[in-house]
Amino acid sequence: MLRMSNLSKVYRTHMIETHALRGFEIQVKPGEFVTVTGPSGSGKTSFLNIAGLLEEFTSGEYILDGVNVNGLDDAARSRLRNEKLGFIFQGFNLIPDLNLFDNVDVPLRYRGFNARERKERIEDALAKVGLASRMKHYPAELSGGQQQRVAIARALAGSPKLLLADEPTGNLDTQMARGVMELLEEINAAGTTILMVTHDPELAVRTHRNVHIIDGQVSDLVRRSPSLVEVEVDANAGLPA
Amino acid sequence: MFGYYFKLGVHSLRRNPALTALMVLTLAIGVAASVSTLTILHMMSGDPIPSKSERLFVPLFDNGGLDDYTPGAEPGDTQMSYQDAANLLRGGQGERRTAMYGVQLPVEPPRKDMSAFKANGVAPTRDFFAMFDVPFLHGQAWSEQDDERGADVVVLGRATAEKLFGDANPVGQRLTVMGYAYTVVGVTDTWMPLTRYYKLVGGGHPGQGEEFFIPFASAIRHETAHSGSMSCSGNRESGYAALLASECTWIQFWFETRSGADRAELQNHIDNYANEQRKLGRMQRNAPNMLYNVMEWMEKLKVVGNDSKLSAWLAFAFLVLCLVNTIGLLMAKFSVRATEVGIRRALGASRRDIFRQFLIETGVVGLAGGLLGLVLSFGALALIGMQSTRMASVARMDWQMLALTFVMSIAAAVIAGLLPTWRACKVTPAIQLKSQ
Repeated sequence: MLRMSNLSKVYRTHMIETHALRGFEIQVKPGEFVTVTGPSGSGKTSFLNIAGLLEEFTSGEYILDGVNVNGLDDAARSRLRNEKLGFIFQGFNLIPDLNLFDNVDVPLRYRGFNARERKERIEDALAKVGLASRMKHYPAELSGGQQQRVAIARALAGSPKLLLADEPTGNLDTQMARGVMELLEEINAAGTTILMVTHDPELAVRTHRNVHIIDGQVSDLVRRSPSLVEVEVDANAGLPA
Repeated sequence: MFGYYFKLGVHSLRRNPALTALMVLTLAIGVAASVSTLTILHMMSGDPIPSKSERLFVPLFDNGGLDDYTPGAEPGDTQMSYQDAANLLRGGQGERRTAMYGVQLPVEPPRKDMSAFKANGVAPTRDFFAMFDVPFLHGQAWSEQDDERGADVVVLGRATAEKLFGDANPVGQRLTVMGYAYTVVGVTDTWMPLTRYYKLVGGGHPGQGEEFFIPFASAIRHETAHSGSMSCSGNRESGYAALLASECTWIQFWFETRSGADRAELQNHIDNYANEQRKLGRMQRNAPNMLYNVMEWMEKLKVVGNDSKLSAWLAFAFLVLCLVNTIGLLMAKFSVRATEVGIRRALGASRRDIFRQFLIETGVVGLAGGLLGLVLSFGALALIGMQSTRMASVARMDWQMLALTFVMSIAAAVIAGLLPTWRACKVTPAIQLKSQ
């Protein structure tokens, strides 16, 4: 689903160079639920942004669902992002003056679906997260947990192959966080690959494996699902067993 | 996607009502100022007779003396002498031709209950009516024989006919003009070209139709004084006969050719005529003989004054000022939308999609500005029109200016929106999304 080889990301100003990622190697298989952990400034966000095609990398190779993203122009990257990826953010990132229906509609508009298909997908996605009855509500009328569910519905509506979640429970209380995590597990069980950045070790242990990043490199790999780890070891020779 | 972006644009108008209102008002004021001054320019400088303007010509000769003459200079005079007008009429060149001059004559109504009054009219030949597409309500133009004989016949303007005879058809009726009995042969329908292009010299005010027409030859036969300007070089003897024989210029002349291509032939004709006159001792300046079609004639006589042009430039400068303000307001409006741009980019919008969305959004602001600008333009034109009858006649918006109002407003908004939109496209989505 996702493979990065010898990837580096360097932020340059006229004074200093900062290496956010260096010699970065990772492979995520279809159907995996992978958490990414690491201290602040370790490169987690840079990794997620590059994985989500929101930032360009400095060198190396990145293959997303069989497509080498090197050298793709903005339009091609945007199309790839729209068709293959779904995003869930810590801050929900809903558009405040659009109601739930229109918020979920946004990625589908760029996809070019007709009105009927968009309506079906929106209603289906909102039903999956239990908010079908609140389509005409605005984000400000919902709780944090409900807003995150809308964000999940928006990410799911386009049937992405890979869901990228950046601390999706970071702004939620324990009960809401549990609900969101259960929802993500259901989505993963239905076949969607998930890559989730989190600081919460409790969440990390619930996924198939955890990738720990320190100083811009993968430093540790914790395997939990035998069927998936076997493939992982083959693809990442040299990583700790 | 246009419909989606347009819907978002309309939605966005409500997002920050105060800022939106300020932008729309700024644009509307700039557009209204430009459109109202442009309307006046447009109405004053527009082609008054598009179907014929390329084949109606004013000939001009320079029959002045040799004193103070710069060789090669165009004739400074804008009228011609009686002898040249009479010769050109006799020459029969062109499809149609007319000499004319303005007259102001006492009219005695046939009704006893109405006292005599002075009326302003024109003394042309019969061709005048066909040349300038003058519409008739009753009757028709006088005959060629009437022109030759200088018959006492009159064509009344509609307002004059109604004043004298009410709603009845007055053709065949008689009335006394300057003491002579004139027979009414026709009544023109309402005919008030915005610019009195056919008689620009001493042309009176646009918006006022001619009160009557009498044959050129009849006016000359009765030694009718002209109403308007006259230019004489050197001394002349007194008396009407001396005026006719003099080099004084006081008559306006028009040719109509079959097509615009016949201009060269007509030019050749007036050049030959001028050469003949030089052999007779006239036109010693040997100056170029000129022909002007309708638009050239309006340009030469500066129908659109420099004041009007300056007003238009000032109005445009004001519009630019409004645009600069709008740019600032759009910057403010779009800067708070950086997060939305980040979200849309993450969800699959390309920079081009964002550019289109924001540009269409500014177009919607322009449309709203155009609507308000149109209302303000009508108000401004109404105010301008209240200044005088002349201004009222040109301060009228036609469909072209109506369309221009919207085109200008939307174009202005889009131009103002280019920089803010470009900046919105440059938003780095990753930073915006993380900052939430």
